[in-house]
Amino acid sequence: MQEKVEAQNILSMNSVEVLYDNVMLAIKGVSVQVPKGEMIALLGSNGAGKSTTLKAISGLLKAERGRISRGEITFQGTDITEALAQKRVEMGICHVIEGRRVFEHLTPDENLTAAAPRGMSRSTLNAEKDKIYAYFPRLAERKNSQAGYLSGGEQQMLAIGRALVTQPKLLMLDEPSLGLAPFLVEEIFGILQKINNDEGLSVLLVEQNALAALEIVSQGYLIENGRVVMHGTAEALKSNSDIQEFYLGGGETDFHNVKHYSRRKRWLS
Amino acid sequence: MDWVFLSELAINGALTGLLYSLFAIGLVLIYKASSVPNLAQGGLTMVGAYVVLALARDVGLPLWLAIPLAAVVMFGLGFGIERVALRRLAGRPVVMILMLTLGLDIFLRGTTLAIWGGTSRSMELGVSYDPLFLGDIFISRIHLVGAGVALALFVGFMLFFQTRTGIKLRAIADDYMASWSVGISVERGVGLSWALASVVAVAAGVIWGEIQGVDQALSLLLLKGLTVAVLGGLDSILGAVIAGIILGVVENVGADFLDPLVGGGSRELIVAAVLILTVMIRPHGLFGRHDIERV
Repeated sequence: MQEKVEAQNILSMNSVEVLYDNVMLAIKGVSVQVPKGEMIALLGSNGAGKSTTLKAISGLLKAERGRISRGEITFQGTDITEALAQKRVEMGICHVIEGRRVFEHLTPDENLTAAAPRGMSRSTLNAEKDKIYAYFPRLAERKNSQAGYLSGGEQQMLAIGRALVTQPKLLMLDEPSLGLAPFLVEEIFGILQKINNDEGLSVLLVEQNALAALEIVSQGYLIENGRVVMHGTAEALKSNSDIQEFYLGGGETDFHNVKHYSRRKRWLS
Repeated sequence: MDWVFLSELAINGALTGLLYSLFAIGLVLIYKASSVPNLAQGGLTMVGAYVVLALARDVGLPLWLAIPLAAVVMFGLGFGIERVALRRLAGRPVVMILMLTLGLDIFLRGTTLAIWGGTSRSMELGVSYDPLFLGDIFISRIHLVGAGVALALFVGFMLFFQTRTGIKLRAIADDYMASWSVGISVERGVGLSWALASVVAVAAGVIWGEIQGVDQALSLLLLKGLTVAVLGGLDSILGAVIAGIILGVVENVGADFLDPLVGGGSRELIVAAVLILTVMIRPHGLFGRHDIERV
């Protein structure tokens, strides 16, 4: 039974602790499972440890002098806790890092080329590009302009497209909605859902915009102070009164409720 | 005003300038990938020349074979420098890497001194020193050959940066973290840029070795090369070529006017003035890229 569950999860992260500079504990025993072909959200406020969780999975911690000090991460049954970032991309994990970070002095088309895996043939690369341009027609229109001058939404699309060139099995996105107008968030999330449907791509989505995220994912994890404090289906989370109050907004905001907020928040952490 | 003489000064200045460009292209290659001006580029150029001489004189190979072989050896040396020294400094402040390249330059100079001594050796490329006349204008053949090599390298690298590997190198220059995130090996890219710069150093070493002899003074080319690279914008190969021509012409023509006034030695002053003024007036040079800020 246990093995069957393992086989269904493309990614399994068990009690992972991350230390920065050997002193700062950024996440304290986080366990997250991503079932194959599903979209999962990591929710939580600023500094809760969501980005660190993604970096632990993609191996980008090293670039920031962080390391996994406890726990293990397996991807498709293989232990990747110590694997190099480059190796993990080859295995099929791609991390769209926070803040878009497109290659500004390259054109969008060159951005896609830069991400091509070693040994990918020219025809495969062109097929991948065509597919990405079909998902993001706005990119196709501007494929030969300088990426640094694209709008925020276009840059986010380019960052996602660039990740898709690596032919990932698990796509991780860090705050793709950051600084974007609501209609753009809707457009980008819609495309993500389409890619997930069409290709069975598993997605791990980090979001502060819980409202938008819970519309497209099947399950969510709530992270506070470096710990998972809640896990459930998107429906269950949406109807949970704490989530509604702290992350989905709405309700009255009189003085009574503000006091209420701080009391309940203490319980959460 | 003697127009023939003036154009002779300008043309020979431009040719000399292209030889500075030949050197500066190596600096630009490394700056593009690691955002550090490589203070050891002079040392590498000198070692490149010594390796060619070692293969040609000490081993006895013909020059046409010794030069490509030296390029291969230097390609390996460039990669080795990244592997042994630079990789450990990843993520450290840029000034540390700068100091490392300075240390490397001193190390290379010391090594060549220990192995081959300080006596100047001649390259003997076999390029004729008979004057070449273009109308009434005298042109030095070796400078013409060197300028040709510089332009060929320029065209070669412009094409290279459109290939997939070249695009990856430019991506690395843009953003290390984003490069890692899509599986680009930043370490390999930086190593490759050092390897290519070391190959350029062989070309510069051979030409400059022919002109001024092979000894430790070759490493002092760094000063003019750095001036050209800064004027061109440090990360632009086109900039390095154009800045080289500009510096060469200004230096040659300017020195002819200034030398009688100050009694000689004004070349160095002109180079220094160009470097200082560039940094003060236009810090990103003629063709250097700005960081893009969208409003």
